[in-house]
Amino acid sequence: MQAYAAKLIELIESKAESIAKQWAADVMKHDRTPSYHSLPNDMVIEQGTDFYRLFRRMSLAENSYDEAKTFSWKYAEDFYRKKIPLHEAIYALMLMRRHLWLYAEFQGTFVTALEKQQAVESLNRTILLFDYVSYQVIEKYQELIIGSVERRLGAIKTLMMTGPIGGKGSTYKVGLMTIFLLVACILTYHYHATLKTEDIFTHLFYIPVILASIWWGKKGIFAAIFLGVLILTSHALFLTGIPISGDVVRAIMFVVIGGVIGWLMEGIKKLEELY
Amino acid sequence: MKAFTAKLVDLTQKNAEVIAQQWAKDVKTNSKTYTYHGASEDKIILQAKDFYSNFQMMFFHELPYEQAEEIFEKYAEARYREGIPLHEALYALILMRRHMWLYAEFQAMFNAEVEHRQAIGSLSRTILMFDYIMYVIARKFWKLMKLELLAIKNTQ
Repeated sequence: MQAYAAKLIELIESKAESIAKQWAADVMKHDRTPSYHSLPNDMVIEQGTDFYRLFRRMSLAENSYDEAKTFSWKYAEDFYRKKIPLHEAIYALMLMRRHLWLYAEFQGTFVTALEKQQAVESLNRTILLFDYVSYQVIEKYQELIIGSVERRLGAIKTLMMTGPIGGKGSTYKVGLMTIFLLVACILTYHYHATLKTEDIFTHLFYIPVILASIWWGKKGIFAAIFLGVLILTSHALFLTGIPISGDVVRAIMFVVIGGVIGWLMEGIKKLEELY
Repeated sequence: MKAFTAKLVDLTQKNAEVIAQQWAKDVKTNSKTYTYHGASEDKIILQAKDFYSNFQMMFFHELPYEQAEEIFEKYAEARYREGIPLHEALYALILMRRHMWLYAEFQAMFNAEVEHRQAIGSLSRTILMFDYIMYVIARKFWKLMKLELLAIKNTQ
């Protein structure tokens, strides 16, 4: 252990609980940490005590950064589960550092000229260790957020077929869409030309409309336009005696649904890239 | 007291270009700021210079926290839009602070006995300002993330 830091570390070690209590009293009423106000007092004090005890271990460890992980990850997981926003968790850490220093100042730990010099070194060391902990807590929070996003996106991601088979630019999706559109052409011909009806078969067209928008975002609207034009052309050719208004509404709905889903998918893709 | 604590900030402002260059070199190779590795050096140097200039403005402001909110929410939004993860954006800030201090140490700015006292004052005030900035940035990121998550929820 470095000599300059020894004094501060000894103080923290022996007074961990007292400092933690002062920190808990502050964090549980501070206006930048409102989510802590309703937490159980004992739990908050325990977190504080754990942190101040970690300080000694970190200072003694060969690799302080790795040693910090034991605390940081637990801290992040505990507070993420309790739905504490990240900025509040970070501010609570800052208050921990501030209380540590306030306590040392209050106890008159650094009075003489030599001690003042030690104080600068201690302060630098303390800041470095806190920087490690803050970084790890934020990183862990991000990991937990990504996990939650992944879970929420689960069903959509399956449909998006982002794996190796359906990956970006894959011919698999194009092939599947071509089959869907061909089937749509055959069905339209069968119902319009052979059965002379505009029956409910067009509801099946929503499958390629939705899939195209999920796969290709806004560009997927071309599938909807194709299907809309298909039923309108077919109607004009084979169902001359039946009013076209029903199919016009259907064609418009394809484009609207395709457009809305495509627009929403662009947002989801952006979010996926971000995380 | 204010004159003492201002020493570090004044030095930083006068040498913003050099400190920003040193920071950029660090952030482009540091394993904790991976996203910055591919960034244009000129662009991030400019970013750091702006930061130090804003920092000075905030440092001397009567209401530094309110000033931090005004300036650094925009900074947070810009980093968010660039796709920089929060832990990296904040670590880059930590490095900015470290480089301020390293430069001052290198210039042997706080050597004499009385200067150690000034150093403590400078450090404490600088850390407090950075705490405000980091809080504001983390809060803004959190808000933006929540907005995006809300958008997902609405689509499902």
